[in-house]
Amino acid sequence: MSMNRMELAKDAVGAAEAAGAEYADARLVRLNEEELSVKNGAPGDAQAPEEWGVGVRIRKGGCFGFGARPLVAGSEAEAGREAAAAAVECAGALESAMREPTGWADVARDEATEYETPVEIDPFGVSVSDRLELLQAANASMEGHDSVVVRQAHCSLRREEQWQASSEGAALHQVLVRTGAGMDVTAAANGQVQKRSYPSSWGNYKSGGWEHVVAMEMPAHGERIRDEAVALCDAEPCPSGERTVVIGASQLALQIHESVGHPNELDRVHGHEVDLAGSSFATPEKLGGFRYGSELVNLVADSTIAGGLDTRGWDDECVPSGRWHVVKDGVFSGYHTSREWAHTIGEEGSRGTARAQGWWNPPIIRITNLSLQPGTWDFDSLIADCEDGSIFMDFVKMWSIDQRRLNFQFTCEVAWEIQGGKLGRMFRNPTYQGRTPDFWGSCDAICGPQHWDLWGVSNCGKGNPMQTAEMSHGAAPARFRGLTLVGAE
Amino acid sequence: MDVVSGDRLLELAHRLVEVSPAAETEVIAGASCDRFARFAASGPTQSADRVLPRVQVRVRVERGGGLAEAQAVCDSLDPAGAQAALDRALAFAAHGSVSKELVPLGGATDVPACVGDASVLDQGFGAMSEWVERALSKCEEADLLPAGLAQTTYDARALVNSSGRSVDGSVSRVAFALTASDPGGGGAGFGDAIGRNAQELNVDRVLERAVTKGANNREPVGIEPGRYTVVLEPNAVSSLLLFASYQGLGAQDVAEEASFLCGRRGEQAFAESVSLFDDAGNDVYPGYSFDWEGTPKQRVELVREGVLGDPVTDRLWAAKQGVPNTGHAYPQPNTYGPKPGNLVLAAGDQSMEELVGGVERGLLVTQLHYTNMIDPRDLLLTGMTRNGTFLIEDGEITKPVKNLRFTESLVNAMASVSGVGKEREVAGALFDGEIICPALRIENFRFTSSTDF
Repeated sequence: MSMNRMELAKDAVGAAEAAGAEYADARLVRLNEEELSVKNGAPGDAQAPEEWGVGVRIRKGGCFGFGARPLVAGSEAEAGREAAAAAVECAGALESAMREPTGWADVARDEATEYETPVEIDPFGVSVSDRLELLQAANASMEGHDSVVVRQAHCSLRREEQWQASSEGAALHQVLVRTGAGMDVTAAANGQVQKRSYPSSWGNYKSGGWEHVVAMEMPAHGERIRDEAVALCDAEPCPSGERTVVIGASQLALQIHESVGHPNELDRVHGHEVDLAGSSFATPEKLGGFRYGSELVNLVADSTIAGGLDTRGWDDECVPSGRWHVVKDGVFSGYHTSREWAHTIGEEGSRGTARAQGWWNPPIIRITNLSLQPGTWDFDSLIADCEDGSIFMDFVKMWSIDQRRLNFQFTCEVAWEIQGGKLGRMFRNPTYQGRTPDFWGSCDAICGPQHWDLWGVSNCGKGNPMQTAEMSHGAAPARFRGLTLVGAE
Repeated sequence: MDVVSGDRLLELAHRLVEVSPAAETEVIAGASCDRFARFAASGPTQSADRVLPRVQVRVRVERGGGLAEAQAVCDSLDPAGAQAALDRALAFAAHGSVSKELVPLGGATDVPACVGDASVLDQGFGAMSEWVERALSKCEEADLLPAGLAQTTYDARALVNSSGRSVDGSVSRVAFALTASDPGGGGAGFGDAIGRNAQELNVDRVLERAVTKGANNREPVGIEPGRYTVVLEPNAVSSLLLFASYQGLGAQDVAEEASFLCGRRGEQAFAESVSLFDDAGNDVYPGYSFDWEGTPKQRVELVREGVLGDPVTDRLWAAKQGVPNTGHAYPQPNTYGPKPGNLVLAAGDQSMEELVGGVERGLLVTQLHYTNMIDPRDLLLTGMTRNGTFLIEDGEITKPVKNLRFTESLVNAMASVSGVGKEREVAGALFDGEIICPALRIENFRFTSSTDF
């Protein structure tokens, strides 16, 4: 009699234990995805990938090994056992080079063993033709100017189902649904090529269903971003020097990701990512005392928040989701951790942020949903409160940060000068540069919940070989004093 | 290993094309066998043995007076899984929009043989374990913290379409890299090697480079940003030039006016000493001899003695512009067009000592980090130096310096090349891709800020 999927996961764990593993977990992962795009009125991309396989991670002599095999109907159990054997062989071959065994935190079990993303409108239930109709309407809304060279609209649906078992008795099943869309227009004139996007540079993606795409009302925004792209080709370059800058929410999401999220990954802090991504300035002796930002700055990690791209039941080490402060009232207060690393900061349990891309990668610490908590300002009032010559900028165009996450330089799609308490002339290629704690320390105003939203990052790269992961960052527009603007051109 | 057998991949692809009811069908069946060992000061941190098959099915179905196109992918060579991918592609296309731009799939063609080194499949973890142990020991002797990756990959691919095209090949890759960092939070050193098999890798050289640089970079001093003459080692050069492969050197980039080639084709925009071509058939580190449409990859002179040439094409962009197809398609359908994937920068005649010796006051840069693009028209880039930046005074390396951020256009940088190294290496960068290139000396390279370490 064939085994069900949870039994297959348990069978792979058993095979690993029989081969000598001191600990083992197995994850069966099935990913279904559908991507559609329309470019300049024609279908540009229609893809339906599917992934289905098993990854087995084991620990032996304090050394990790990982094996991964695709799952084929009729031979799933053999694939699981082969992956288990490969994982044990990896660890066995490398065990002698271990200098110090990895740590391993216990997991406090709850009774839940099932999790499923709440969905209002099943995205896979929306017909391909209905999805294309929406994208065509969004694409058409950006027509109408000779300078426009590219109009794109896209949407993506993902359904990831996991069966996870461990040698500690875990048997967890979760279904994660993620949906999103976006659009952008590129204009070329006067030797310039400039892009504007909606709702942000990569669109926006959330956990949940098609309701997120409906709420975007994409066709209603095409004409505006088209005109802004065209106007950017005539705009002056953004001036350089120190200015008061109001940064929009989608750009702040990137700022959170790069200057708070990545340096907060505890494996990175301990040098395990130095071979590619780098290390971190946020070292453990700073925990609890280091001033990361002004007193207004509260950054909360939350893998339970509604709509977050990394909202789930458990991470890939069977650890339940949670919520905690990374920065509280401006003070560095917590890390993203895994079972391997929690003990190094005196914590008994992992925060549950070890994740892998698909079935074919071992888990590493990943940023979860990490958000700047809203303040109290109304956006128009904040702009009105800025002195003449201040700048408002938004929408990610370029990002770069050093390997310890201190020196960053980011460029936005568009900026406006603030004059007389209102947005005035437009500038192109606005670029700001800074040092992480100085930047967050200069924050003196944050807009309220009415301006706050979650912004999805669906392709965060980390690891070596590189893996991608998804997470969201919530933010509202915020003001920063004395920010350095760089004349990028 | 059977999973990367060319015959098996071809058979699967042919079978799927034969049963497809679509007007046109293309099947790409591929598989990788990948093993890696990652390490840090505590020893091996991750190790993996992975089998990664992949079947991509592209169909075009008749719909309302034209053809609608869609693609589906599965990560299984199982016939049932592949059939399911075909069914998904058909269902997707049946509800899709008609595209007026489609160019018929290419017919039968011959491609040069490309065969990976099968010894990579049999290597196991023995050699990698030894490299890791040597890296750990050497760093411990020098009081440095190691971090690195050893990896072996064998990748096979077959492409079959309904117009009679049937090609297959394989490539192999073995890589080893070490970053050796000062435990007190000072600087670091880096070395790496990439080749077709373990025998091509000079592991001793990787260890020596990383550890020597790390040991010489313990207490870097701050230096003012500004314009400097720089000697960029091959790894740093790769971070710049790979951006030209992401953005600018493809026909679609030019057509969409998002390329540094716009308005500069035929002009002497780079220094005469700069010649850049795309050449999958090079004898240093060859790639697949055919692209993702099964077209033989041509050797394309993108820059000849500083004069900018034409961009690379695929079937669609060759037809649109009435120019030859150079064989640089990426998986179809896509929205980004053709790109070069095997860049080679021509070697010069200067040794590293001569490149450094020609600098009155400047910087030696080992590696660049997180390079990204601000503007495509001049390929304006920014990024950080990393893992060994040293001051050069009167032709001699004098001291390590703290890392700096550069903001510079590739066009300006390549126009300001004053020396080209004679030794080439295979080098990669943070985001993706690899390039064969020598070291370069560049005048007036602009650094715009600095960091704390």
